[in-house]
Amino acid sequence: MGMEQMTRILTVDDSASMRALLRNALSENGFHVEQAEDGIAALEWLEMNDVDVVITDINMPRLDGFGLIERLRAENRHRDRPILVLSTESSDEKKARARAAGATGWIVKPFDAEKLVTAVRRVAH
Amino acid sequence: MMHQDHRTAFGAVTRITLLQGEARVSSRPDVEISTILGSCVACCLFDPLASVGGMNHFLLAEPKAEGEVLDEHYGVYLMEVLINDMMKKGANRSNLRARLYGGANLHPGMRSIGLMNAEFADKFLESERIPLMHAELGGTQARRLSFMPASGKVRSKLVPEVLIQPSPAMRRTQMMAGDVELF
Repeated sequence: MGMEQMTRILTVDDSASMRALLRNALSENGFHVEQAEDGIAALEWLEMNDVDVVITDINMPRLDGFGLIERLRAENRHRDRPILVLSTESSDEKKARARAAGATGWIVKPFDAEKLVTAVRRVAH
Repeated sequence: MMHQDHRTAFGAVTRITLLQGEARVSSRPDVEISTILGSCVACCLFDPLASVGGMNHFLLAEPKAEGEVLDEHYGVYLMEVLINDMMKKGANRSNLRARLYGGANLHPGMRSIGLMNAEFADKFLESERIPLMHAELGGTQARRLSFMPASGKVRSKLVPEVLIQPSPAMRRTQMMAGDVELF
């Protein structure tokens, strides 16, 4: 499959171990994977680059997942970008907050590669 | 049966008994987190500036087949829960210091799942750049661990295996792992 046809995913997570698990799971399933270690790094990268789907953690230093989603939704370019949250949290309150901020969906860690890939394919435009 | 009490007030000390698959964090000087480890591994994290400490306790399932790798998802998850809870209590990720305990090989001759768990924890800390200050891993005896989260002090003692209440190793399939909700 050529690069131009691959779905590009940006994963945002402060844990290097989690980034490695995500890179493996997504690359193995034919996705092009880019990674950022927190919300600020993600915003900086997105200024110069495009992706099809963003997958973000919630608890991160500097700028957390809620802040990242709000900042992206404030920009025209990212208004309709699918953004999936991937978090250890699963409370209704946190999910409601993510939904209000504009998240597309919520996935609970530890992630299952098959369920993650299915979710990404469903939301990718 | 002292271990049936999850949290017991003993004199001025509130003792929290940690079970496999759990993580606890506190900044209270009167709290002591304790656990008993066989092949399980416990990671104690401490932020000396915030005086916040926490501990988890895990056992990852042994690969079923030769060549299959240890499923690290659950371990990474439980380490992340611990780190996130530390940060919520005011710890700074870059100040975290770690100690590792457990990973004993209680049944000589068998392949050591304890050792594999210990190696996972060691590798995790290295990739997350969390300094490992002290490790008591491996051996053939169980350990009783007491951790004072507000001071970071740890007492570790070798104990007879008979005290261990076995609990199954964790696989992702045993949890509601990876549940997806699209808004």
